[in-house]
Amino acid sequence: MAKELIRLEHVSKSYDGNMILDDLNLSIHENSFVTILGPSGCGKTTTLRIIGGFETPDQGRVIFDGQDITNLAPNKRQLNTVFQKYALFTHMDIAQNIAFGLKIKNKTDAYIKDKIKYALKLVNLEGFEHRMPDSLSGGQQQRVAIARAIVNEPKVLLLDEPLGALDLKLRQDMQYELIRLKNELGITFIYVTHDQEEALTMSDHIVVMNQGYIQQEGSPEKIYNEPENAFVADFIGDSNIIHATMVQDKLVRILGANFSCVDTGFGINTPVDVVIRPEDVELVPRGKGTLPGKVSHVIFKGVHYEMEVEAGGFEWLVHSTRMAQVGDEVDISVDPFNIQVMNVPASEDEEAIEIDV
Amino acid sequence: MRKTIEKVYMGIILVFMYLPIVTMIILSFNSSKSRAKWGGFTFDWYINLASDSEIINAFANTLIIALISTVVATIIGTATCVAMMGLHKKSRSVIMGITNIPMINADIVTGISLMLLFRFLHFNAGFITVLIAHITFNIPYVMLSVMPRMKTINPSVYEAALDLGAEPFFAFRKTVLPDLMPAVISGAMMAFTMSLDDFIITYFTKGSGFDTLSTKIYSEVKRGIQPEIYALSAIIFIIVIVLMVGSRQLKARNSAASSKKEISYEKRKGLSKKTILLLAAACGVIVVIGLTFGGVFKTEDNQVYVYNWGEYIDPEVITMFEEETGIKVIYDEFESNEIMYAKIASDNSAYDVICPSDYMISRMIQEGMLQELDWNSLPYASENIDPNYLESAASFDEGNKYAVPNFCGTVGILYNKTLVDDPVTSWDILWDEKYAGQILMQDSVRDAFMVALAKNGYSINSTDPAQLEEAAAELIAQKPLVQAYVIDQVRDKMIGGEAALGVIYSGEALYTQRENSDLEYVIPDEGSNVWLDGWCITRDSKHTENALKWINFMCREDIALMNFEYVTYTTPNLKAQELIEDETIRNSTVAFPTEDTLSRCEVYTYLGQDADELYNELWKKIKAAD
Repeated sequence: MAKELIRLEHVSKSYDGNMILDDLNLSIHENSFVTILGPSGCGKTTTLRIIGGFETPDQGRVIFDGQDITNLAPNKRQLNTVFQKYALFTHMDIAQNIAFGLKIKNKTDAYIKDKIKYALKLVNLEGFEHRMPDSLSGGQQQRVAIARAIVNEPKVLLLDEPLGALDLKLRQDMQYELIRLKNELGITFIYVTHDQEEALTMSDHIVVMNQGYIQQEGSPEKIYNEPENAFVADFIGDSNIIHATMVQDKLVRILGANFSCVDTGFGINTPVDVVIRPEDVELVPRGKGTLPGKVSHVIFKGVHYEMEVEAGGFEWLVHSTRMAQVGDEVDISVDPFNIQVMNVPASEDEEAIEIDV
Repeated sequence: MRKTIEKVYMGIILVFMYLPIVTMIILSFNSSKSRAKWGGFTFDWYINLASDSEIINAFANTLIIALISTVVATIIGTATCVAMMGLHKKSRSVIMGITNIPMINADIVTGISLMLLFRFLHFNAGFITVLIAHITFNIPYVMLSVMPRMKTINPSVYEAALDLGAEPFFAFRKTVLPDLMPAVISGAMMAFTMSLDDFIITYFTKGSGFDTLSTKIYSEVKRGIQPEIYALSAIIFIIVIVLMVGSRQLKARNSAASSKKEISYEKRKGLSKKTILLLAAACGVIVVIGLTFGGVFKTEDNQVYVYNWGEYIDPEVITMFEEETGIKVIYDEFESNEIMYAKIASDNSAYDVICPSDYMISRMIQEGMLQELDWNSLPYASENIDPNYLESAASFDEGNKYAVPNFCGTVGILYNKTLVDDPVTSWDILWDEKYAGQILMQDSVRDAFMVALAKNGYSINSTDPAQLEEAAAELIAQKPLVQAYVIDQVRDKMIGGEAALGVIYSGEALYTQRENSDLEYVIPDEGSNVWLDGWCITRDSKHTENALKWINFMCREDIALMNFEYVTYTTPNLKAQELIEDETIRNSTVAFPTEDTLSRCEVYTYLGQDADELYNELWKKIKAAD
């Protein structure tokens, strides 16, 4: 594993009595693409601003490369930020924008000129030196903002929902650009977003946050396939989240029917939640599956059909490439590997999270 | 049709709003002093204005105050807006509300409270207090302009600069300030205009010896507003218009810049830089002019503080006194006895020499506000003042202990020979229905009652309620015949032939005769008021010796002559009278009434508080009557 670069230790922050972050611990490694993912108000932007130095935590420490930088001013930190609304200097042209940080560091004119050229090439904006920010599209402005940040050769680039203001197509293009940039620069990206697709596409490591707590962290695959609680499961992609009972090891009763699974160690007749992804629900002819049901809606989505199946008093969400007709009598069947069993939230906080969702 | 009506309506409204100003500007080019007659086009008033050192001085003061207060208020106001962005929305709007209150608040309340505060803190009223007051009331105007712009600024821009390694102030200067600049400049212009405009707050905080244009103009009201003031007002109006249009234009560009993204960068940048340069240059010039003429920072110990009626001295005389004695004169003007009284009552040592009228002198003596004069130090006064007038003065200042007569005059009837056929010998003619709508009365309690009391053969200092009721009834009966109760318009209306008969002061009569030879001045047989004012020294004067020197100097015949020629009221200085070159004036019975006439006239005396109240009560009834 790569070396640890940033560590947040027991960080808490509140505004006007509202707890935004509560005893947060987070470790970020060198040369990784870390995404902090969560709904608005979950504390992800505050976390980023604490790392950037724009906010000071009420409690806890921020360690950067082994040094405590908790109270260090933003202009003294070896990291740069790309802001949500670009935040370009509107009265300066693109070259002046990019040169801003370098001039403060008293770099030579030749060096600055080289850097501007290099940075604009990196973000595919060659020849834009003397344009004004106002004359650029949103995507171009955001790329200038990135260029302005990276010419300073930061060890870490902080990105605060940088694609939030762009349209869908542009957003997808920029996602690939960012991955490419990260690989070319070989530095750490800390990326904040509420868009789970963005997170899954770009990240090496995802941190899912809600209400000031880290809900789960891990690789995109792990977060998607093995959500640790109902919030994560629901927030990452579409899911069927159902209250169930763990009858015994490797057997769970869902809506009155017994399903085989691979999970063990929950005890006997323990209440649990199960998560089943819609693409993992198989529709089979009546009598061939585990739970009988009836198709109530069908929508064509291009790659697959999105269907709703009424079974055992629950509306199952199903993605399948094979179409069924509304009113078809079918059975539901699930591969044991695709049933994710989770503990029912025990603490009040976790309960609150679930209600909020 | 509808369009036409709309246009006509709009036209009427515009005329309503701007006709007065247009009139004033036109009159500023009128070579006749009359407000009713066009005497041909002239630039004289503008030229006179430029050579009037007091006006220029006040103008310089106005500009310096406006400039410094604008700069300071702009810095403080902008800094406050920046600081307020860090606040919660709720507390921000509360603070904004609080800072807006001074703008809505009546100026008089602001003025008086500032005055009280300065006095409480023992600040010497003057340049500094006026400056502080102007800064105080200017800050909200700057904030009003800057705050909305501030709210549109993306705070990430500032953070981005910090992020790129800029120190906080550098980041602010490079990112926020350029965006804020148009609003800052327009706020500064607004503040400048407000400061230029202010009268009330300045009036209450200025103290003695310091005037801005507005207070200077106001103190000249006593003698009637001179055409120079029209010229000056026209200039101020133009300056204000230019500033307002400038600030509007900036605001328009400002909002155009934020709404239309394609506005070119060069244009915006060029504008603010050029404006700043121009402003800086203008500031420099104004400060230099101000310091040269203003004498704002001059402090000397050898001084005398003089408080006199507006336009009641030849300005040259002050310069001569300063040159001959080396005493610096701090000279202020008042417009009524009552205003002067209030000032001295609140701070007796504010002035050394004052010039109250007869009844006010007697009141101030009674209340112990004056000090006895050392006549040994007043050789010119002893030699030159007409004993007859000293005797008159003794009626309110027994033994001439407190006052040296300065000017005097009578009240009489001014009539137009071409409009009045009957001989004018009695006050009765003012009740003659033949002249209905052609009669002008003085808008002052004592003068109005004097006419009615004298007509009925009573003392003009009567305190007998029955006689006063009778006089009031007479005045109410006369009211339908009266064109208007006015003060200095008597002069102008009579010159313009707008009225046939008017009650007027002798000094003004002499002046009107120069402008219109059809006018004749008469003191009716029943008698009238002779008034007298005199130089007095305040009880707590800090420069008594200099004050005596001033009074003595004023009694020197050449000086008294200069003042007489400037003011045209009767001088009690016998030697000065002999020096008058113009024979008709020297022998004029208007300027120098005969002993016989004077024997019929009475001096006003202070009537006491009860009689004062009765006069005022009846006066209200008269004014309210149809």
